[in-house]
Amino acid sequence: MRSQRRGDIVAGCFIALLGAVVIIAASRISGDPEERLPPRALPYAVGFMTLAGGAGLAFRSWRYRGQDLVIKWPDRDGALRIAVNLLLLALFIALIEPLGMPIVTALYVAAAIWYIDRKRIVAALLTGAGSGVVVYYLFIKLLELQFPLGLLQR
Amino acid sequence: MGTLIGVLPGIGPSAGIAILLPLTTMIPPTSGIIMMAAIYYGAMYGGSTTAIVVNIPGEASSVPTCIDGYEMAKQGRAGAALGISAISSFVAGTLGLVGLTFFAPLLANVALAFGPPEYFALMFMGLSLVISLSGRALLKGLIAMSLGLLASLIGQNPLTGAARLTFGWVDLMAGVSFISVIIGLFAISEVMINVEEAATLIYETKIKGWMPTWKEIRQCFGAMLRSSGIGFFLGLLPGCAPAVTTFIAYDVEKRVSKTPERFGKGAIEGVAAPEGANNATSSGGFVPLFAFGLPTGPALAVLLGGLMMYGLQPGPMLFQQNPKFVWAVIASMYIGNVILLVLNLPLVGFWARIALIPFPVLGPIIILCSIIGAYSIRFLLFDVWVTLVFGVIGYLMRKLGFPMAPMVLATVLAPMLEVSLQQSLLLSLGSPFIFFNRPIAAFFMALAFLSIIRGIWIQVRSHAPEVAIDESDD
Repeated sequence: MRSQRRGDIVAGCFIALLGAVVIIAASRISGDPEERLPPRALPYAVGFMTLAGGAGLAFRSWRYRGQDLVIKWPDRDGALRIAVNLLLLALFIALIEPLGMPIVTALYVAAAIWYIDRKRIVAALLTGAGSGVVVYYLFIKLLELQFPLGLLQR
Repeated sequence: MGTLIGVLPGIGPSAGIAILLPLTTMIPPTSGIIMMAAIYYGAMYGGSTTAIVVNIPGEASSVPTCIDGYEMAKQGRAGAALGISAISSFVAGTLGLVGLTFFAPLLANVALAFGPPEYFALMFMGLSLVISLSGRALLKGLIAMSLGLLASLIGQNPLTGAARLTFGWVDLMAGVSFISVIIGLFAISEVMINVEEAATLIYETKIKGWMPTWKEIRQCFGAMLRSSGIGFFLGLLPGCAPAVTTFIAYDVEKRVSKTPERFGKGAIEGVAAPEGANNATSSGGFVPLFAFGLPTGPALAVLLGGLMMYGLQPGPMLFQQNPKFVWAVIASMYIGNVILLVLNLPLVGFWARIALIPFPVLGPIIILCSIIGAYSIRFLLFDVWVTLVFGVIGYLMRKLGFPMAPMVLATVLAPMLEVSLQQSLLLSLGSPFIFFNRPIAAFFMALAFLSIIRGIWIQVRSHAPEVAIDESDD
């Protein structure tokens, strides 16, 4: 899917499929059809708009025969970097409540910096620790935001 | 403080005032209200900083600033963009205050002339801006708009409470916050792009100058005046979010420009206009707040709460019963505007240097601020997961050439659009002609249709592939 044309065809088909799903989901919305604007009216409208837009994009791209552009997808290393960073981020979110925001902040920031640049181990540790301290004292203690404390609460 | 709050993605003026409200209880009431008002318009300015430097809007109203502000930053002109942002905010904010000072009672009546049909027509006209925001990629822009509308429909119907598009998930009943959408689309995807490219810096271009030139300031003078008017008058309207005014101001500036092709590639007027509108809106919002006790948005609703906390009752009698308080607040806003300029112009170099922080350190910090902002919306982990999902969506949109601004605009406008449509149809007993037989509504509808027809005509004549030029990473 390196070419823009092919990418648009695939994207268009996917979006059209999404539109179809929305239309089916909209048909199951309960509500009084006698209302001026029934609850399913706008979901239907947006569903059809999405279906038409996706189908239109796919069709227009399929018919296009001019100069094509190349999409700069990531290479293998780039894809791996993205995947690991997304995984780190997902772990960060999942561990906010069990470990608490300050601790998981410190761990995430340190791990993310170290992964992106292996030479910056000191910067990673210092920035991670500093971030955790800032989150605790600035956001939780001073501004009294209700962030989970996790292990620090025990 | 307001500027610092506005800089953090996701923590906008309303959250900022709510967070800092307890601090104001330590000082006398008038001073406390002055402090809250200062935080409000400081935060309105602060959102532009990250929008320009790292392409991450502090709140929805800063999204148009990203379009040209970040392009200027990539050309080494972040300082000039930040400088014109501060100057435009000062000029437009001051002009808005003049309007507030002399015309408050008269203008409050203008706000009362807006009913549900007028609001719907205004929001519909706002949606027609998608045409302009899509650049050459009109079809992709319309698809992005549909996806934004879709995201806003998830949850409960605002009037009947019926569940929509929740697929049985209880978490989805609360709906998807547009702040999560913005943070994901811009902040998370921006970091993903830089991680993919193993960037050492956010952008490699050498910084060229820290301030706009006098020629550029003169060039933006018209934009400042126009955006003042647009921001102030639209800011009078309850429910008209600052995001709407900034998009409209940007669009107007692009249309009146003799060289509209520069917009999206680092046109300095493209920064001056939305930033001016942003601050003028904050001044305009105080008119109905003081005159009727009607907040025009979430931030002013929190301010209203603050006023009542101090025993002050906004409304028609406020000027008579507490004149010293009202004029003290208005006077403080003039001073606050000057302080905003005096403090932030010297800080332009500091903010612009954020981009010099090595990306391996800056990237995780940006993610951290984004997570904090997303979690602070409702203190639900669900909002943070939504941010992550929209981050992936934003990344794919950038790769496939879909413009993101239409999606943001639709997500912000959709709730107001739906409620006003429902109320209008109730008023008219189902007749859609209500939008055409009321003069103000008809005016906005006509503008919207003209914009749509013009945009479609231009697109039909073009035979180029659909690529969003305003979000190119080249």
